[in-house]
Amino acid sequence: MKTRVLLLVATVAARPPVVGAQHAAPLQSPGGRALTPRDSAVHTLNRLAYGPRPGEIERVARAGVLRWIDAQLTPDKIDDKDLARREREFDVLKYDRGDLATLYTEVQRARQERKRMGDTAADKPDDSPIAVKGRRFAAQVQQLAVVRAALSERQLYEVMVDFWTNHFNVYVAKGADRFLTPDYIEHTIRPHAMGRFEDLLIATAQSPAMLFYLDNWESVAPGASPPFPLSARRRGGQGGRTAPKGINENYARELLELHTLGVDGGYDQHDVIEVARIFTGWSIRRPQQGGDFEFHDWAHDTGDKQVLGVEFERGHGMDEGIRLLKVLANHPATMHHVSRQLCQRFVNDDPPDGCVDDAVAAWQRTHGDIREVLRAIFHGPDFWAAANVRAKVKTPLEFVVSAARAVAADPDTTPRLAQMVARLGEPLYLHVAPDGYPEREDAWVNSGALLDRMNAAVALAAGRLPGAVVALDSVAPDTVDVQHLIAAIDDGILGGAMSENTKRVISSQLSDVTDPVQARALAIGLAIGGPEFQRQ
Amino acid sequence: MTISRRVFVKSGGVALFSLGMDPLFLARAALGSYKPLPPVAARCRPVLVCLFQRGAVDGLNMIVPHGDPLYYRERPRIAVPGTDVVDLDGYFGLHPRLAALKPLWDSKRLAAIHAIGSPDATRSHFDAQDYMESGTPGVKATPDGWLNRYCQHDREHEETPFRAVAFGPELPRILAGTAPSLAIADLQAFGLRAPQPAARDRLTRAFEELYAGSATGLLSTSSQEAFQAVQTLQRVDPTRYQPANGADYPRGRLGKAMLQIAQLIKADVGLQVAFADVTGWDTHVNQGASEGQLAARLAELGQTLTAFTQDLGDKLDDVVVLTMSEFGRTVRENGNSGTDHGHATAMLVLGGPVNGGRVLGRWPGLDPANRFEGRDVAVTTDFRDLFAEVLARHLGATDLSTVFPGFTADPTRFPGAIRA
Repeated sequence: MKTRVLLLVATVAARPPVVGAQHAAPLQSPGGRALTPRDSAVHTLNRLAYGPRPGEIERVARAGVLRWIDAQLTPDKIDDKDLARREREFDVLKYDRGDLATLYTEVQRARQERKRMGDTAADKPDDSPIAVKGRRFAAQVQQLAVVRAALSERQLYEVMVDFWTNHFNVYVAKGADRFLTPDYIEHTIRPHAMGRFEDLLIATAQSPAMLFYLDNWESVAPGASPPFPLSARRRGGQGGRTAPKGINENYARELLELHTLGVDGGYDQHDVIEVARIFTGWSIRRPQQGGDFEFHDWAHDTGDKQVLGVEFERGHGMDEGIRLLKVLANHPATMHHVSRQLCQRFVNDDPPDGCVDDAVAAWQRTHGDIREVLRAIFHGPDFWAAANVRAKVKTPLEFVVSAARAVAADPDTTPRLAQMVARLGEPLYLHVAPDGYPEREDAWVNSGALLDRMNAAVALAAGRLPGAVVALDSVAPDTVDVQHLIAAIDDGILGGAMSENTKRVISSQLSDVTDPVQARALAIGLAIGGPEFQRQ
Repeated sequence: MTISRRVFVKSGGVALFSLGMDPLFLARAALGSYKPLPPVAARCRPVLVCLFQRGAVDGLNMIVPHGDPLYYRERPRIAVPGTDVVDLDGYFGLHPRLAALKPLWDSKRLAAIHAIGSPDATRSHFDAQDYMESGTPGVKATPDGWLNRYCQHDREHEETPFRAVAFGPELPRILAGTAPSLAIADLQAFGLRAPQPAARDRLTRAFEELYAGSATGLLSTSSQEAFQAVQTLQRVDPTRYQPANGADYPRGRLGKAMLQIAQLIKADVGLQVAFADVTGWDTHVNQGASEGQLAARLAELGQTLTAFTQDLGDKLDDVVVLTMSEFGRTVRENGNSGTDHGHATAMLVLGGPVNGGRVLGRWPGLDPANRFEGRDVAVTTDFRDLFAEVLARHLGATDLSTVFPGFTADPTRFPGAIRA
């Protein structure tokens, strides 16, 4: 195999290296060792993608890592036919918010009927066709995320969709969010995942899912009441909700604390209240029927407001909110807060300051173009530093998807992989608190979870997971030649990171296995369940 | 401390990796060098079992104020008749399907706390459960649960992987956090899975060796705990467990969870904090009175708790079971013979250390003038006062400010659930 050394530059000045350059000077790690093209490819696929598929490390190294990164930064230009074909099998995509709302209402009605009939077994699962359909759709929504992450050629894009899904977290099991969330993913998060942060922020602020999740849809100015009486159903409550009560600060607080400035971003309780006042009236038309964003004039607080020293003169209705969101999107604290999270995701659980600085600089320069912020991170020295290579641990989603990719699994609509992600602790769209699933390893690495990962790895490699056909031939031939197996697995799955200890253990475990199919499954299962594969 | 971008070596506990070389840490020299945990004398090891009734249990039909005519006036169809109630103190009584708990009341090992709940007024199940598990009502961004924060700050008992265990498919919010805790769905299935025990042991050994020799950092310490837990459980031999003293747990998730908790307590593996939950309390429609939906759930609860105490025998002297629910239900029944979301509810404490035989808290009565928003039982005891008392007086916690941030635990406000 050709080993043309790809050398990346350690810049002295603050500018990132030339995109796509194959001729730049070497990036020096502390020991003076540069990352080989192979190592660079492995590292890139571990961070910008959900890990390599068989043969992918070679392909990326040969094409040139920076060139590959460049291409990933323009996902629209990447063809994704295979995924598109697989997506058509997901019926849930054919239903819009209104359809799903109708389905949900039918399921609820059927359940109330059963209770009225005196059915006392509250925990028994409902086998009626309508309830089964509801559960199937809920499972499909989760499985779809896993399938996209596993099969898409637009890997960086899928990674960013996951990042923003957590950053702008919504809890699918809260009331109307059951049928508002799928649309939120398709039409709010996905279209804006690699555009401008400001556009994404505004889209989330106006999304019915977020408005419902953080209660802003029912936030009204004190004393305001609708000009016409709302029926109990239109008020969207269950259990006899009374008339709207006043300002709800929930969204305002999380907008500042989590979505933009960050907890140390320099705002105070007064700002939270003022922000809440600005967003009064940002609501949903007929929420229980899956309605659109709707601004309610009657609910809006019409006074002057002041946020972070910025004046918002009375009388501008909904525009106050848009203006505020733009102020927040371009605020230095926001740039820093979100850049830090991006560096945490892509570089290290403790993000290096230099990385954050580079990202912020790119944000300023491009008014929050997410692609350029990412480009700055991937071209900075911290991303390529040896100390940051393999320094992170995969989240449950990253583990399951990278395992599926490693064995060239072809997942269908069966929710088994999504269930595996849930069992490992990360049930998709089911994070209750608005901060989203955490990024740091100490949230995910615990004794129970590790045992579960080992079990998952063994089951996957043995092809015992319904709905995920694995193609181990593309990883390694079925053989009892242990050294051959180990080399193939080290090369193709672990990217050369297999330790001597691991080689020894696998050899020893295979020493009395005579069936080549079994030998291969065992070796791959041990590798994927082992410590090296947990790292990214 | 700023890290110049030209410095690639991180200070602190992060491992340094050089590609292609063996990891620097080899924490374990040889395999099979686990030292068996010294059995901890049961007398010295208090255990707290938290049981979350998810869905907002109707405290009024659980601990019935049968001495108040308002109760009957507001609930013509679903009030428990005075003749069916198991009287406790002349005013309150147990729902008849909790009758099995009466002996515990009589032996002063069961108490109830009424009119207890959250200072936050939300009637959203998910928000209120979130607040009760995070221990920070009104604050949504708290990343961990109060039980985990207790474990973080009381480090005395952290030498066992079984210190904090939740019985169920996933780790609940109440135990989320940086202190190690385990979620166990099934004791018998815990560990590596394989068709036969021999294959399972071999696979376990293989992964043990992999992690022992190749894991670094948190992966190393957590995997050590994992294999220690597996080994310990094998000694406990959960497949052979028989409840003691004729204890008869009901079939179902709750019975199974409490059976496993009892099993672990008796196995002396260092369990200090256990958690289980049970659903089905959200009785909006057709709640029933002495019989019906709620009665069925209470029957299961009563039978489970009774079996649990029987199974434990003497060990109950060091155990406190604490029930909790995110809020209560409306005083008045609704148009569907059920109740809607309320505010205060009732919680139970059960066990040797309990100050039993009384209904604690400050009962505000059912008079409309004393109700919360004119419709619910008012909260006169903040749930954190009860939880703080249990942590302090039963588990010996000393610094509660970190366990309940933004709340000052004051012993004069403790409901008096635990004997001093």
